[in-house]
Amino acid sequence: MTDPYEVLNIPSTATDEEVKKAYRDLARKYHPDNYHDNPLADLAQEKMKEINAAYDAIQKERSGRGSASSGGYAQQSYGGYQYQQRTAGDPAFLQVRMAINRNDLGMAEQLLDRMGDHNGEWNFLKGTICYRRGWVDEARRYYETACQIDPGSAEFQQALHFVENNRAGYRPEGYETFSTGCGGDNLCGRLACFYLSCNLCLGGGMHFFCC
Amino acid sequence: MFGYVRPSVARLTEEDKARFGGVYCGLCRVLGERYGQAARFILNYDFTFLAILLWPDGAEGERLRRGCIAHPIGKRAYYPGNEALELAADESVILAWWQLRDALEDPGEGKAKYRAASLALKTAYRRARERRPDFDRITREKLEDLRRLERERCPSLDRPADAFAAILAAAAEEVSDPVKRRVLEQLLYHLGRWVYLVDAADDLAEDFTSGSYNPLICRFSLKSGELTGEARESLVISLDHSIRLMEAAYELWNFGEWSSIICTVLYEGLFLVGRAVLEGTFQASDMNFRIAGRNKEQL
Repeated sequence: MTDPYEVLNIPSTATDEEVKKAYRDLARKYHPDNYHDNPLADLAQEKMKEINAAYDAIQKERSGRGSASSGGYAQQSYGGYQYQQRTAGDPAFLQVRMAINRNDLGMAEQLLDRMGDHNGEWNFLKGTICYRRGWVDEARRYYETACQIDPGSAEFQQALHFVENNRAGYRPEGYETFSTGCGGDNLCGRLACFYLSCNLCLGGGMHFFCC
Repeated sequence: MFGYVRPSVARLTEEDKARFGGVYCGLCRVLGERYGQAARFILNYDFTFLAILLWPDGAEGERLRRGCIAHPIGKRAYYPGNEALELAADESVILAWWQLRDALEDPGEGKAKYRAASLALKTAYRRARERRPDFDRITREKLEDLRRLERERCPSLDRPADAFAAILAAAAEEVSDPVKRRVLEQLLYHLGRWVYLVDAADDLAEDFTSGSYNPLICRFSLKSGELTGEARESLVISLDHSIRLMEAAYELWNFGEWSSIICTVLYEGLFLVGRAVLEGTFQASDMNFRIAGRNKEQL
């Protein structure tokens, strides 16, 4: 078995607090919330399993007890929003959802395109297909329409919120939460520094060929 | 491409700056060795980043020092050629070639520089095509798709961006480890998408004046060469989210000694460049190869 300390990227001499912190940081990085409807969700899930197993092993080793628990991250879903309780779920869309879960986006789209009633769920599923392809702008528009048609659906709201506010996810230590738009905390100062540095630190002359 | 992909240099350690500079100079040398001195003019930061992403695992290698034709004083440190530098060099030649052909097909003035560049790259392109026939085919097909969408004045941001993104994603095809390949495909797809959209924002005013296709004009029905508040907000959401998806992909592979450079690009550099472009303060490259046309058809 892989060394659990290696998995958590800490020395075996780490204190209990350090172990906990390393585990929390990694769990935050690979948390299912960061990989909703992501084509790489299965890889993140694997990482999460490794981290949970490593943390459990260390806990077990240190406590001498046999049943340490990692805190429940492993129980959450990476698949998308399917784990939500759906009250508005229409059986006609079940096949579409199954095709999306199999990542057969072409089939899912064909099924949707044959339907005449473009209700909230139809728009939500269209949005999900776009999102899985990386088509963020169209996904967002479909999710918006879904929310307008069916404002009570937590599933649709959650999907829209995720596309629009994916700013609170994991950041490496020392990195602030940035946005291309306004709101970056020290952005202006950093920007001045950035240009200066481009010219000075990278040798100035590098611009000979590139710019 | 266009030189938008930059690390946030203020965050780089001296060693990382030397590494980044070493890849940049290494790529320049490989371009020169494989395609002649004239091909070195297509070098830019975007392909330097591509070479870093594709760098063989656990094989940083030694930097060598030699004099440089562009920097007569002193010697420059560079990594000698390897598979990542060769792939980045070959693919940059192919992409530059097709973008030049596209620019030449557009009606309009000022073609002399494209013609000269095209002449300089012709032999290089033939050699690159022989080395990477699959990448050449995908690039040609996707740029053709892009031209069709432009002719139709496609009102979607995602569709034309997808055509360009697919070209970059194809750069990952030769990666042998299946997990690394998937990670890079996703990362490069969103990098290509981000570059396309940032370039569209950078060219917006010019395209509006000339009547050229620009997906932002069509998507948001713009009545001037500036983004409205609502359009800007939508574009920011798309750009930010693509960066998040690049970050999420990056975290699933251990890029070893390159991690801190890649981190500064994905967690800060791209945001800074995007923001500067939207504010009109980005210093655009002189190498204005346009993405597949932005052809001069009148609105």
